[in-house]
Amino acid sequence: MPVFSYLAYPVSGSKEQLLNDLAALDFCEVTPAENQAVLILVTDTPDEETEKKLQEKLKALKSLESLGMTFGHTDE
Amino acid sequence: MENPKQKVGKVFLIFAGLCILALPLIVLTALSSEPEEMEASVADTQNMDFDDKGQAVFASYDQISRDYLEGTSTGRTLSEYYSRRQYPGSPPFIPHKVEEPDLAPIECLTCHARGGWTAELKKNTPITPHPEQEACRQCHITVTEAQLFVETDWMSVAPPRLGRTSLPGAPPPIPHELQMRGDCVACHVGPGTVAAIRVEHPSRGNCRQCHVPESNAPLFERKPKS
Amino acid sequence: MDFTRRDFIKSAALQSAVTTAAVLFPGISFGAWKNADSGAIEWKKTPCRFCGTGCGLLVGVSGDRAVAVKGDPNCTVNKGLCCVKGYHSVQILYGKDRVNKALVRKNGKLVETPLKEALDLVASKMQETIKSHGKDAVAMYGSGQWSITDGYVSSKLFKGCIGTNNLEANARLCMASAVTGFLTTFGLDEPMGCYDDLDHADVFITWGNNMAEMHPVLFSRMLANRKSKNNVTIIDLATRTTRTSQAADKSIIFNPQTDLAVANAICYEIIRNDWVNWDFVNKHVSFHKGKTNIGYGTQDHFKFKDKAETVDWETYKAFLADYTPEKVEKISGVPAKDIKYLAALFGDPDKKVVSYWCMGMNQHTRGTWINNLVYNCHLLVGKISQPGNGPFSLTGQPSACGTVREVGTLTHKLPHGVVMKEGARKMAAKIWDVPVENIDPKPTYHTVEMFRALDRGDIRFMWIQVTNPMVTMPNLNRYRNGAEKDGRFLVVSEIYPTPTYDVADVVLPSALWIEREGFFGNSERRTQHNDQIVPMPGDCMSNTWQIIEVARRMGFEKQFPWSEETYIEDIWNEYIQFHDTPKHRMAPYKELKANSGLQWPFVNGLETKWRYHAKYDPAAEGEDFDFYGKPDRRAWIWLRPYEPAAESPDSEYPLWLNTGRILEHWHTGSMTRRVPVLHRAAPEAYVEINPDDATRMGINSGNKVKVSSRRGSVIMKASINGRGRPPRGMVFVPFFDESYLINEVTLDAFCPISKQPDYKKCAVKLEKV
Repeated sequence: MPVFSYLAYPVSGSKEQLLNDLAALDFCEVTPAENQAVLILVTDTPDEETEKKLQEKLKALKSLESLGMTFGHTDE
Repeated sequence: MENPKQKVGKVFLIFAGLCILALPLIVLTALSSEPEEMEASVADTQNMDFDDKGQAVFASYDQISRDYLEGTSTGRTLSEYYSRRQYPGSPPFIPHKVEEPDLAPIECLTCHARGGWTAELKKNTPITPHPEQEACRQCHITVTEAQLFVETDWMSVAPPRLGRTSLPGAPPPIPHELQMRGDCVACHVGPGTVAAIRVEHPSRGNCRQCHVPESNAPLFERKPKS
Repeated sequence: MDFTRRDFIKSAALQSAVTTAAVLFPGISFGAWKNADSGAIEWKKTPCRFCGTGCGLLVGVSGDRAVAVKGDPNCTVNKGLCCVKGYHSVQILYGKDRVNKALVRKNGKLVETPLKEALDLVASKMQETIKSHGKDAVAMYGSGQWSITDGYVSSKLFKGCIGTNNLEANARLCMASAVTGFLTTFGLDEPMGCYDDLDHADVFITWGNNMAEMHPVLFSRMLANRKSKNNVTIIDLATRTTRTSQAADKSIIFNPQTDLAVANAICYEIIRNDWVNWDFVNKHVSFHKGKTNIGYGTQDHFKFKDKAETVDWETYKAFLADYTPEKVEKISGVPAKDIKYLAALFGDPDKKVVSYWCMGMNQHTRGTWINNLVYNCHLLVGKISQPGNGPFSLTGQPSACGTVREVGTLTHKLPHGVVMKEGARKMAAKIWDVPVENIDPKPTYHTVEMFRALDRGDIRFMWIQVTNPMVTMPNLNRYRNGAEKDGRFLVVSEIYPTPTYDVADVVLPSALWIEREGFFGNSERRTQHNDQIVPMPGDCMSNTWQIIEVARRMGFEKQFPWSEETYIEDIWNEYIQFHDTPKHRMAPYKELKANSGLQWPFVNGLETKWRYHAKYDPAAEGEDFDFYGKPDRRAWIWLRPYEPAAESPDSEYPLWLNTGRILEHWHTGSMTRRVPVLHRAAPEAYVEINPDDATRMGINSGNKVKVSSRRGSVIMKASINGRGRPPRGMVFVPFFDESYLINEVTLDAFCPISKQPDYKKCAVKLEKV
């Protein structure tokens, strides 16, 4: 049951788009900063398999510039 | 029940690498103005509260010691600041214990009028911008319960962005209401302030010679009489 | 278990990201609230929704949502400051369980129903009840939170069209003694002074009134005055130690009910020391005696009519002989020297004195009397009707004055005058365009008796708007059982589910104050207008329009002809015809729209700040004072004795029970409990116990205790040395929490003159559970 948190940086000017894109994904909770172009993403997937699929989806997002991981937890 | 050792799982923090990764971004963010994002204009009419009480504000500034003015040991963050409010400018709740009934309202001011270090809470005390109001707990209340009675659909506008200067290096305008918050020094100077909004030039007392209220008024347009 | 752990990990994940972000971006913020459209805020004026102070607010609007509040600097009431309820008032719009569809009880359950169908049902049920049980079997119960137009159309429908005087409002539970106090002493309702007195007076006496919590904005103005002048004295004269006592210069505690004796003793001392203002008394005061041993109204069909007898000065002086400070010390527990001190403050010709009171004096089985007696203190020394001098009755609701007292939504009242007077009936019939015979000259039931009639079955249909009687009626068990009986039909106009909603047969979704245009009238004769500031959710409708819809369905289209676009203005223009004299003229609609409240009498474009004085009041004649409300143009000093409470502690029930409000919650909490920060500050009710009593009974703060009376009981947590401290032998319980219905314990005894119940005094016992 992996849980990760990231700081998500949008492609310049597309913070709202990134917010919408991330909010639309399963297993994702997103909190935008109010006064900076950065978002917090917390992912919570049921198993490794799903986690991998989610990672692929995240990489495919056009509005996402980069992800910086701040916390990770897995049950092993 | 799971074995508690398994429960702890594996926790790892990638921190240093992240800082390096993010550095160019900070620079980028600082330079780009992004006016369309999170535009939070708070006021269309500014109250000239500061000017009404100007003399009192200058007098209280004069009484603040130099050490205090230069104090920077604050640990308070803007997130903390806003987490105690319901909208930008709402009276924050009291985040520490208050003894009832032996503590009369006036006693809030023994700490919050002048600020300084409190050994009890191990914090620098923030200063109120309106010490002339003595019935503090008319607006500021302690919170004892986490649960809500009923969930709420409440929303408000985003807090004002920082550093909204018109040109690089220019003094930023005042992005908030001045009503009840006309004494700039109370919140922007000293060790009890929120780090992100503390000024670097506290020895200059006449704040509003450079920082002017921001409003939503449309740009100047001439309306010739004829 | 696992669920909580997972949540914990996720919150650690989030926290870690926040911390990292704070290091990377100094000043970054993730707000505690969800963001609305981040457009500009536009500020719109309105009076506050809560108490009778009537603060002006500016509500910040973004898109179609209210998102912020600041005090209106243009409003002379609060000059830009609010209390914590006011600052968070707009959050009452957004509770998740907001009622926004009509509900009709079908097979025992409230079911969502199209609004039109629900309104049809209300109208047909009312007509059916009138047909089968007569016009006096239908009733309307409103409130001092009604907008002025809500009350006005109810009066027109019930008194003018249907022809029943079954119209009451919860202000009966709140202001009735103040009204009868004004009428018996001055002949006209509502205060002579205004809030400017707060800036002018040298001495403030709060009579059983915890202003620091109940009228905080006015109290802070009082403190500001004290701070600026150095010679200002605040005296809290009360039955319990509160925040007001703490802030006061002197706190004087008296035994419950003995304020009657204390006030007489003050007058005794004023006379003994010859501090009487003879010029004023000889020219402007007359003396009167009423009935004594007047009862408590605890039986059904209780009737009482006072009879005034004019007496002379010597009779008054002889009457006061029973109230020497020494004798009164024995009854009241107030040291004689404190009584003498109070008298000396009244007697000092260089000190301006204001008295403030609210529920402590009004919710009193001798409520009318104590109002009279406080006026006596001011009249003997002529400290009235001038800046900084005067007795001032505060109100608890935003429009108890505006709607209930001025529009007259009480069984005996019409918008101008009383139903018993032919002239008043004729005036109403003419303005309302109804036959004068329609208006019944006989009053029917006051509030307590109206709920008794519902229990007995004399009333079969009741429409309740903007109030929550299933929390607030004293001796609640009886009235809830009555409301739940078969063959009773209850319509409830509400914004949230409440215990009153729970017993409704039809629930109509109402618009909140800034979701519609309307007017309130505050304690100081100030009428305040607000525009509709945000849209109404769902099927919500203003209470005024609900009544209009039902009236039209009952065939009264002619009397309710207005359009939805302009009805508030049209109703205002019709209503103010009732008050078109210099004694009570109301400001025109467009002036009210433009200003942050205007005081009546509004004559020749000017407000009246002090009544009954020719210098300030256009209706007053002569050089100075003119108490034109009474036929002898004098203010009446009444000889009112001390009589004991309806129920006092005894060996079986050894404690006084006092009930009331607290700062964070307004009335029954149906609104303020849905404001996150207010609920979190005061999540549940409690019973305040004196520390000595608690020690004796082995009760600690937080222990569960049972508070019981002859009528009912409540189990709740004890609070010792909390917000307030009752004296030994008294407990205090706030009534905001529907989970602990303290009114199942209170007594439905009332003042025989005002018919206002006494929520402050009954006998209870405490048991640790």
